[in-house]
Amino acid sequence: MEFEIESPKNITELCKTIKSYRSKSFRLGAGYTDLLMELKKHTPRNLTVINLAQLKDISFSSIRSTTKNIQIGAMVTASKLVTDTSVEQPFPVLQQAAHNLASTQIRQVATLGGNLCTASPSGDLICAAMALQASCEIMNDDKKIRTLSIQDFFIGVRKTALKKNEFLFAINIPKNKKETATLHSGFIKIGTRKSMECSVVSLAFHLQIDKTGKIIDAGIAIGASAPTVKFAQSACQFLIGKKINSFSEKEKEEFANKVLSYASPISDIRATAWYRKEVLFNISKGVLE
Amino acid sequence: MSKKLKIIGTPVPKHDAKIRTTGEAIYGHDIKLPNMLYGAILRTQHPHAEFTIDVSEAKKIPGVACIITADDVDTNHIGYKRDHPILKKNEANCCRDEIAAVAAETKEIAQEALKRIKVKYKVKKGIYNPHEALKKNAPQINKFSSGKFENKNIAEKFFYEHGNLEQEKKNSVAIVKRKFTLPRMTHACMATSNITAHYTKTNGKLLLYSSTQVPFLYQRDMAHALKMNPSDIRIIQPIIGGGFGSKLDMHPFEPICALLSIKTGKPVQILYSREEEFIASPTRQPMEIELTAGVDKNGNFTFREIEIIKDNGAYTSWGATTPFVIMQAFSSLYKIKACRFNALAVYTNNVFAGSFRGYGNPQATFALERVIDLLADEIGIDKAEIRLRNANTKGEITGQGLHYDTCGHKECLQTVIKKLKVEKKKVEKKNRFKRGIGYASMLHVGGGAKIYRSDGCGTTLKIDPYGFCTIITGSNEIGQGSETVLAMIAAEELGIELSKIKVINTDTDVKPWDVGVHASRTSFVAGNSLLGAIHILKEKLNNKAAQLLNEKNKNFTYENGNIISPSHQQIALDKVVREMHFTEPNELAIASYFYEPSSKFQDKDFKGNVSGTYAFASQSISVEVDTYTGNVQVLDIHVAQDVGKVLNPLLLDGQIHGGILQGVGYALTEELIFKEGELLNPNFHNYKMLTAADVPNIHFYPVETNDKQGPYGAKGVGEAPLIPTAAAIANAVCDALDVEIVELPITPERVLKAIAEKKNNKKNK
Amino acid sequence: MEITFTLNGKKTTCQIKASATLLELLREALNLTGTKPGCHEGECGACTVLINGKSVNSCLYLALNANGKEITTIEGLTKPNGGLDEVQESMIKNGAVQCGFCTSGMVLNIKALQLETMQNKKVPGSGIKNSPNRNEIKKWLEGNLCRCTGYVKIIDAAEEVFNKGK
Ligand SMILES: Cc1cc2nc3c(=O)[nH]c(=O)nc-3n(C[C@H](O)[C@H](O)[C@H](O)COP(=O)(O)OP(=O)(O)OC[C@H]3O[C@@H](n4cnc5c(N)ncnc54)[C@H](O)[C@@H]3O)c2cc1C
Ligand code: FES
Ligand code: FES
Repeated sequence: MEFEIESPKNITELCKTIKSYRSKSFRLGAGYTDLLMELKKHTPRNLTVINLAQLKDISFSSIRSTTKNIQIGAMVTASKLVTDTSVEQPFPVLQQAAHNLASTQIRQVATLGGNLCTASPSGDLICAAMALQASCEIMNDDKKIRTLSIQDFFIGVRKTALKKNEFLFAINIPKNKKETATLHSGFIKIGTRKSMECSVVSLAFHLQIDKTGKIIDAGIAIGASAPTVKFAQSACQFLIGKKINSFSEKEKEEFANKVLSYASPISDIRATAWYRKEVLFNISKGVLE
Repeated sequence: MSKKLKIIGTPVPKHDAKIRTTGEAIYGHDIKLPNMLYGAILRTQHPHAEFTIDVSEAKKIPGVACIITADDVDTNHIGYKRDHPILKKNEANCCRDEIAAVAAETKEIAQEALKRIKVKYKVKKGIYNPHEALKKNAPQINKFSSGKFENKNIAEKFFYEHGNLEQEKKNSVAIVKRKFTLPRMTHACMATSNITAHYTKTNGKLLLYSSTQVPFLYQRDMAHALKMNPSDIRIIQPIIGGGFGSKLDMHPFEPICALLSIKTGKPVQILYSREEEFIASPTRQPMEIELTAGVDKNGNFTFREIEIIKDNGAYTSWGATTPFVIMQAFSSLYKIKACRFNALAVYTNNVFAGSFRGYGNPQATFALERVIDLLADEIGIDKAEIRLRNANTKGEITGQGLHYDTCGHKECLQTVIKKLKVEKKKVEKKNRFKRGIGYASMLHVGGGAKIYRSDGCGTTLKIDPYGFCTIITGSNEIGQGSETVLAMIAAEELGIELSKIKVINTDTDVKPWDVGVHASRTSFVAGNSLLGAIHILKEKLNNKAAQLLNEKNKNFTYENGNIISPSHQQIALDKVVREMHFTEPNELAIASYFYEPSSKFQDKDFKGNVSGTYAFASQSISVEVDTYTGNVQVLDIHVAQDVGKVLNPLLLDGQIHGGILQGVGYALTEELIFKEGELLNPNFHNYKMLTAADVPNIHFYPVETNDKQGPYGAKGVGEAPLIPTAAAIANAVCDALDVEIVELPITPERVLKAIAEKKNNKKNK
Repeated sequence: MEITFTLNGKKTTCQIKASATLLELLREALNLTGTKPGCHEGECGACTVLINGKSVNSCLYLALNANGKEITTIEGLTKPNGGLDEVQESMIKNGAVQCGFCTSGMVLNIKALQLETMQNKKVPGSGIKNSPNRNEIKKWLEGNLCRCTGYVKIIDAAEEVFNKGK
């Protein structure tokens, strides 16, 4: 593993550095838990890593509230997502996903931006952010920002919509509705052991329920079941307007089948496609139990 | 042994725990010698292929000191059957095969050199299934095999029987027959394999810093491999980062490292990467066990008939001899009137297995205990009751000739049955989550195992003029705590503080002979050996003390650094030692003793009392299965074990917990996955060792039977805890779901499959 | 390139390769071999060190990002007079050390939990303020593999450290 490194100290420097590497090979590094694993296996010749870890800008690594959104900087670590009350209370699904990511040590350094930009089909934070219907703020080397819905951010297996001169700046999560009285929100991660699992299948759900028990908004996303994390639109539609406590067995199965319709899993050494589908169906049903 | 014990039986922390907690302990990975080179091994890219190799480009890289291939060395084959070339020539037979090795100034240069070695492969179709290998038209897989069996791909064969099988079949009211499949599990020691070799050209001596657990056998094997004189090879063991049986065989990387040092005249170090550790270190034996067993109308077991096919891999290691232990479980765990046992170890192009804590016994126990549940169901007896009815007893001499002078089997069973019963009432059958319970027992050698001509251990004991004691023992410490137990024994007997006792056990040039760490033998054999030496030394000390104190009665006691006479005169131990050295008849306060257990070498029919004593254990386990995901959660594990006598509860607990969690891993998550001879999960990411978050509640009840053969009555304990765990978990899962499990590990996917199959079967009925 | 950081309480400056990991720097250049390499891929926790009081896998951490930070390795936990930290004491007393290869990482990760709770900050995801319970300790140690002990005594040792604080 041999590479050169640039450590810009602020966003202006970062943009300048990215510009100067326009025609050369470079990678961005944040918490390095994905990047070093990749480079240890194979490092292309003459690679430069542009190091985000020494950026001093608070905007990159803080969680803040705007009128409509909670905005989370790309450099926010998983452990911050676990402890920060502005995440834990309104978005249990994200807090749980972060809490079940890797280990204590990895969570201290692994970033939200790194998780999104690796674009793994089993990315846990991706799955949670998608259930929350987040959008991505993308900055280019001219410091211009464009916004993309999280579903459009992922364009294939380990592929994002980022251009070479762009980086992820933050994500915006819409605040819960005013009418929301209770939340049914959580992250289910399937694996063989309790910890240190790369999801065999994951299911993120975020249901907003008014005081009459009616579901007024729903976000369901599934991971490790398709080339990218998927938002289960029709399953969400199915739920909206219904009472959370009134689902019949048939309706639960109908819902589970709707979720399943977004899955096109593969068989690999961790599980067969059969198992992934079977479990996804079961845990989807379980969400309504 | 009627006197009250002061130190034995107390929770003394490990002798060297301190330096292992501060980072001061020096492991193989930490050794750095002046001018040391780094070695690296090139392995075949294809499990089965012919190849040609060209190292000329790689040799040109600055910093490369030496590259060797099979053509550059003159060595003997290694392995239990001497069927394993150290470096392979022209043909690769499994994915581990070493085809070249480099020594270079840095690790990076060594890796770069490996990349630049040009190998041309002609890929061949390998045989990865032992049944294929046994077919008449199959090619010979190992060209160096003895060829003494009727089929060229049989590496080893075992046959054993006792009793009248046909008669016992007739006496049976129920007979159950099942085939079980056991996976490859690997040791995954936290420190990867390592060695540092230092050959000095001028005197032709080879010094090896090696993690072997059998230094004296290793010395002989190494000498044979390298065509050297064994006494020119000195083995020093650095602190070892985990053993569990993995270091019983000598593996090719070790003589390879020695060869690199011999060629370069410099120290050379080889450290495995974690990936290499998964690919190239030994595994537990994978096997198929077909077991037929019966029970009579009174619920007594009648017979067991066993057919085993073991995947030997491409070469033969000590692991091929696991049927010694396997047959013992089948012939002698629970009372069994007739037994017929057949086992074949069959060459394939898979990796070869080695020895692993339990040595075949977890596999055997899984099959045996699963079938007991099925027999109980057949005749409608309670699963606890059928086990109690057939439990082994004190004084029993089994069909195979094992003498149970002490036997805690029944007490172990009763204990765990009673303890779990409470929870059984709590078992609730909710829709999604199902609970179940399972039992299993085990029998294992508890006083060494006579599989070499000697199962002995030597000790030299010395006391210095300052009252410090040095134990030079043939035995080894691989993390299990044997040093501590020896120090405790010496402290107990000589009345010396623990902090004044040193244990020397790491240098073959210094220490007396011993077979090595295996078969849970160390505390038993080395403990007895030390007691022998203490006895001799005390006689010398007593004589001197009697002379100095003018005492006739030499019935001295040793306490707080003093030697005390029956008439309450006392003299300091260090003073007696000084007087021994400095006054006539001048002599050293030193004694040596060699202990050989009373066990016997088994006859050619495998009959005979192979161990000094036998250990028993039972476990009862409750599980909760999530029928949505297939995840099995182990709730409580109750384990009762006949340990003879608790020497140190702290260390004993550690052995129990550690063994059990390995057993839970074997049951639920751990498996090396191969496809056409290639390992698909050579990392911790996909080879799933359990984490702290997975730890169930473990309740341990030691059973003390005070075996007169053992030191203070103790038996070996190290391997036992993991042996029945997988069996009991499988029984609990079957109980929870009313399904059949015939394969390990019981992954969530296998659980959901079993549930789906049950549903299908119901539909079809 | 040059970096400067506080290593076990001492200001340290050294020359490093841009791509060096902190684990390589500690073990190979600085000869602090108490930090153990178990996998080099973030899976085993043997290489755990404290960076500004937080436990991190040094095998996946670039040495250059240590610049300006406070690093504590197992060698730094022992007091100058050879006295041990209470976490170390508790590990020994509870029989939590067998082969010891995982021990440095275990000790430092338990230490990190202690520091976290001492700052009276919430322990991640648990809602507890002061003293983590057994399940929280188990979860906290999920990234430290141990092959010898079955973790029970290690968890006991950690529990004892926290119960003492009560
Ligand atoms: C042992 C282990 C266990 C793991 N377990 C899990 C798990 O349970 N669940 C899970 O989802 N993941 C897991 N991971 C993967 C990884 O930890 C996460 O994906 C993590 O969030 C990545 O963040 P990072 O900051 O370390 O990313 P880095 O490694 O620094 O970067 C990852 C990728 O994103 C790019 N990148 C980073 N930041 C930006 C940015 N702001 N803009 C544009 N591109 C950027 C980098 O160039 C790189 O390609 C695990 C990894 C390890 C080693
Ligand atoms: S060596 Fe760093 S986690 Fe294993
Ligand atoms: S004590 Fe050996 S790995 Fe933990």
